[in-house]
Amino acid sequence: MKAKTRKLILRLIVVVVIIGAAAGFVAWYKLFRQVPLHYASVEDQFKYGSIGAEDQAGLPYWIVIVLPRMFPEYLPRPGGFSSVGLVWEEGHELPIGLTKKTIGFDRVGINCAFCHTATWRATPQDKPHIVLAAPGHQLDGQKYLRFLYACASDTRFNADDILKEIDRDTKLSWLDRMLYRYLLIPQTRTALLKQKEEFAWTNTRPDWGPGRVDPFNPEKFGPLKQPMDDSVGNSDMPSLWNQKARANGKALHWDGLQTSLDEVFINSALGDGAIRKALPMDEFQRLKAWLIDLQPPKYPFTIDQPLAARGSQVYAKQCASCHEVGQERTGTVIPIDEIKTDRHRLDEWTQGAANAYNSGAGGYTFNTSHFRKTNGYESSPLDGIWLRAPYLHNGSVPTLADLLEPEVNRPKLFWRGYDVYDQSRVGFISSGADAEKTGFRYDTSVTGNSNQGHLWGTDLTQEDKKGLIEFLKTL
Amino acid sequence: MKDYEPLTSVEIQERRRARIVVIIIIVILVAIAAYLYWAFNPNRPVDYADIQEHFKYGSIGSEPANGIPYWIFKVMPDMFPEKLPGKGYASLGFIEEPGKDLPVGFSVRRVIVDRVGLNCGVCHTGTVRENASSQPRVIVGMPANRLELENYVRFLTACAVDPRFTVDNVMTAIAARTHLGPIEAYIYRTAIPLTREALIEQGNRLSFINNRPDWGPGRVDTFNPYKAIQFHWSMEHDDSIGTSDYPSVWNQRPREGMQLHWDGNNTSVDERNKSAALGAGVTPSTIDLDRLKRIENWLLDFKAPAYPYSIDEALAAKGDPIYKQHCASCHDFGAQLVGTVTPIDKIGTDPHRLDSYTYTLAVNQNMMYAGYPWRFSHFRKTDGYANMPLDGIWLRAPYLHNGSVPTLRDLLEPSEKRPQEFYRGYDVFDQKNVGFVSNIAAEGGHQFFRYDTTLPGNSNRGHVYGTTLSPEEKDAVLEYMKKL
Repeated sequence: MKAKTRKLILRLIVVVVIIGAAAGFVAWYKLFRQVPLHYASVEDQFKYGSIGAEDQAGLPYWIVIVLPRMFPEYLPRPGGFSSVGLVWEEGHELPIGLTKKTIGFDRVGINCAFCHTATWRATPQDKPHIVLAAPGHQLDGQKYLRFLYACASDTRFNADDILKEIDRDTKLSWLDRMLYRYLLIPQTRTALLKQKEEFAWTNTRPDWGPGRVDPFNPEKFGPLKQPMDDSVGNSDMPSLWNQKARANGKALHWDGLQTSLDEVFINSALGDGAIRKALPMDEFQRLKAWLIDLQPPKYPFTIDQPLAARGSQVYAKQCASCHEVGQERTGTVIPIDEIKTDRHRLDEWTQGAANAYNSGAGGYTFNTSHFRKTNGYESSPLDGIWLRAPYLHNGSVPTLADLLEPEVNRPKLFWRGYDVYDQSRVGFISSGADAEKTGFRYDTSVTGNSNQGHLWGTDLTQEDKKGLIEFLKTL
Repeated sequence: MKDYEPLTSVEIQERRRARIVVIIIIVILVAIAAYLYWAFNPNRPVDYADIQEHFKYGSIGSEPANGIPYWIFKVMPDMFPEKLPGKGYASLGFIEEPGKDLPVGFSVRRVIVDRVGLNCGVCHTGTVRENASSQPRVIVGMPANRLELENYVRFLTACAVDPRFTVDNVMTAIAARTHLGPIEAYIYRTAIPLTREALIEQGNRLSFINNRPDWGPGRVDTFNPYKAIQFHWSMEHDDSIGTSDYPSVWNQRPREGMQLHWDGNNTSVDERNKSAALGAGVTPSTIDLDRLKRIENWLLDFKAPAYPYSIDEALAAKGDPIYKQHCASCHDFGAQLVGTVTPIDKIGTDPHRLDSYTYTLAVNQNMMYAGYPWRFSHFRKTDGYANMPLDGIWLRAPYLHNGSVPTLRDLLEPSEKRPQEFYRGYDVFDQKNVGFVSNIAAEGGHQFFRYDTTLPGNSNRGHVYGTTLSPEEKDAVLEYMKKL
């Protein structure tokens, strides 16, 4: 009798353990199993590879697939994810900058290419030319986030309605359906609504518009736990190419708050939603090696070489001391009193935030020790400057021709985000019906949007300006 | 643990009896479930052994998501005859064959109740007659030369928004045709308002078609409805016009790898087929790949029918070298340029269809069939129109992508001499000019569609190849082309 009982209990234990192990395995398989994502080509890695932003900030794949169709009214115009300026290659499942990684279930995160991929076209009829590591001047990251928040706030963001849409696309297994119904859909909604709350401060400040981002306030008010202020940091996304010209302690970020490229990688990835343990440091080294040597694309239209040659003299005299690689002031911070451009981006960053970062606040326990507070804006090399329009750190001057005009002659109102190129003024077309239709109305009188300052070259003769602009196309 | 008391014989008997009752109940429940499953099977298409019958009447999976309950489909023309140009669905150019319950292009699948969906045959089956008094010959794989798909959409919408489209009225109309069992009647009472809603939603999404020149018979705007139906894009600020002819679908094997669709936006026959199936109403999860595959396999080598009328062989022989010189490099299988795109500036035909298909649409299509190995990846934005092989060209009138030139003879004229206005939708063949008779406005009370080449999207200009040939050369090359 006793032996029988013991046997029964033993059997029960074995059964419970087996069932428990099976359930555990299924849970691990469906929720945590990491499938490595590695692309053979570094360009593909940049476009579609993970920077660790899927574990926590990744959205369940099927939700990403159905949202644009379910809530087209929350996107700026027809065109799905294209409508926020995401660059989408022919044949590819997702736009550049969106990653698809399996961590238990398929999740979609973002990576560097989300902000650092540009398009340009010679005429509106052309297909877009895609340039990696260029400033994503057409990408409206804020519109993308607001789209997600608006979806999550809609009553139709519920398991019944979303599963009904997913059913149109695929036949989920019973287990996946349960997972989506009881876990992924409600949890995604909660997470997005929480993020919406955390980003509520953006609603009382000027819109970023395409090609711009407030780079440091999200971290300041978030993980760095700095006190809420009314600063506006809206500034252009930079180009990432040719990092060797920016190496060895040169100022990085618009105000030069960093000098270490490794740390820029890490803090940018964290800003994109990556978590520390998911940071793929090997891939970062690979991307870094690529970006160190990557050269900007050549100006694709004709250049008047004799004119450019004359312009090179003007450049040598007027610009080179701050912008030519190897010159004394290139890659240094030019004091705000000297450059006199809009100071909001500078004032956004504080000594307190730098200290917090360096001392590992918010769990950033890397050896982040190179954050600093500066008093101006960096003078960057002008490589590929033709594709880095609009100009100045806040993108307040649409073309190089405008930048060489005194402040009163620079456009007070223009449209940015349109990707048809303006060969005569060097930059993107920023006015007229087409630019107004797709572009963002940029008003230089709005806080943080001033087009003042950087007056070098504005007093040149018309001839010298023409020559200089022609020369700048060659960089 | 303790030992159980032994059961009394009464208890044993009671238990036995209880067990028998339980078994009987289970058997009855299983029987009911089996009957219900048989009667209201969630997915049971009507199949046809003959491949051409399957093409015309078989299912490709458009019913579960976009099917109309069979009896509603049947009674709509009874209830709303005033919304049709003539009698029944045939008056919209659908082909009704003797002894068939539904027109060509409609399949039936039981999804709780029988539902009616569209298949490939609806847009790719046509008719031809030798003269007004001869019987139409139904030809599968040719462009649906008489089909007024736009008017079908309009008819469905008009029925759905009509206040008479109520549960009681529809049930009364159904009762005039058949007797529904109680379960089916109950299901129908639920399905009628749902169908009405779905048709109204479809009408709303497609309402933009009413702001554009009419498609008329034999034409469809392929990619604008795609934007609205597949992606739910607002068409409010999209004024593009994509209206173009249905193509023939025979002889697909040599077309693999060619730039398919009028603007050559896809080089995969398989993807093009799955895309067309979406247009017929399947979704990536409801598409019936096996039944579609049957059609695809058959179409690989199914050849265009030979020209059935007399051919002047001597004249055709004279046309052969002219064709080789002027047409073959772009239009012959194996020629260098066949299946490639000629840029719009060079071909010079109406650009609307090209412009209606955008880069943005092409990349969004990459999400279609997400999660399946056959997810779309071949769609491209092009800059012109594709050079098509000319097999069975005699049945592919009117000509050019927008069907703006009624006959081959007209196509060999410079655009200012091509007809400014003509009629489409008549299926009597014009042997002299090669195409359908296009100068008859009406027959037997049926008005044909007046095609106005001055409307946007309808231009007959461009493709001037062969227009400078002498009249004799034109006669010869026309005769030769009948043999393609």
